[in-house]
Amino acid sequence: MTRLIILTPATLYQEAWRALLSTQLGIEVVDTVSQPQDLGQLIPLNQRPTTILIDLAAAEPAVAHQFKEITPAPGLLFLVDKYDLTEMVALLQADAAGCLIRDATVADLVRGIIAAGRGEIVLPPEWATKALVALARGEVEQGRPFLNTLTDREQDVLRLLAHGMTNKDIAQSLFLSVRTIEAHLRNIYGKLGVTSRTAAVLWAVQHGYGP
Amino acid sequence: MSGDTHKAENLTRIAVLGTLTEFHADPLPYNLNALVDLVAGINPDLLCLDMTLAQWQQQDFSRLPSEYREALLPLAAQTDMVVVPIGGEQAMPRAIAIGWRGILINGARKLLGWIQASAPGPDAINQGWRHELGNLLYSLTRYLAGEAANHAYHTHIEQLTQAALRAAADNPGNRILVVANIQYCHHIRPRLQQQPDIIETAYTNL
Repeated sequence: MTRLIILTPATLYQEAWRALLSTQLGIEVVDTVSQPQDLGQLIPLNQRPTTILIDLAAAEPAVAHQFKEITPAPGLLFLVDKYDLTEMVALLQADAAGCLIRDATVADLVRGIIAAGRGEIVLPPEWATKALVALARGEVEQGRPFLNTLTDREQDVLRLLAHGMTNKDIAQSLFLSVRTIEAHLRNIYGKLGVTSRTAAVLWAVQHGYGP
Repeated sequence: MSGDTHKAENLTRIAVLGTLTEFHADPLPYNLNALVDLVAGINPDLLCLDMTLAQWQQQDFSRLPSEYREALLPLAAQTDMVVVPIGGEQAMPRAIAIGWRGILINGARKLLGWIQASAPGPDAINQGWRHELGNLLYSLTRYLAGEAANHAYHTHIEQLTQAALRAAADNPGNRILVVANIQYCHHIRPRLQQQPDIIETAYTNL
């Protein structure tokens, strides 16, 4: 179950988001807040959000930093008016999960919220590719040598990962379950010697698995 | 944890849910939300549907039954369920014949349509007299349509079964729900039961 907190300043918007998202399968709306500070530091462990949906006039990376100081775990998903590469890279560098355009469908939003809660990168594939390449170019660290050879299936997963796809999208592309993809990712992380999805993606892009 | 318990947890569980999907031109008497709630409650990792790979790749769902088009595919799109098209390259042709055989087939199909129209929910098609009578009527239509229809039927069962087994082999330890017309259920289940690495179970126990 994805536990969601919504950040938006206006009360009416908070109520509207709650009404829309409370009825979606797999999502529990824990709370709505008007600013990051409202989240406080006294969130019970079992109420900690897995995703924070951020609906502000501007997608400021500073907001991501503020949230990360208060509660480090959740995936931060920003709503934006239009996709902008510079803004995306800045959000990813601020450790946000990604962003979603306001013209998206409810189904896309729900999938994005769930994916962000799982620590996945949430960007449309055509933009994810550009953003990850831009991020990788700014990354000076070379990929670590991996001790074991990746299997064909793991290479398939890594290739799709490097294109910015979510676990569900990778799973659907390969007709594998999300659980199976998660198992492949654990193996990939182990073989690459990385501990995060972003590090695996950067490794993949730098080693020719990306676009 | 004992070795046997650990092994059982790693076994793939698979269940078959029957539908009367080919009557998609007729309105369903029950709310499709009942089917959505049923499958959402089961929450399988993989949802194997009797549709061709081309239909899936082209996202062309116009010829698919409403149970798929309006209930299961939207549900899968919004959840972690992954759709696996197991129908092969061609859809199963409908049993047809001319003359008195054709008249009898039409009669059987009207009865099948009535079974669907009188079913209060998706569970009702999977148990009791509706399930048995439906299966019997499908057998009758194939018999009347001749050897070619019977051959196509068994070829399609083989296709569905092998594709479901491939999905199981690629996803050890997962929970798989196969949703197909009730006429296939009786043949697919025993074949799945024969596999040593699979637990075939009722969809209510998946």
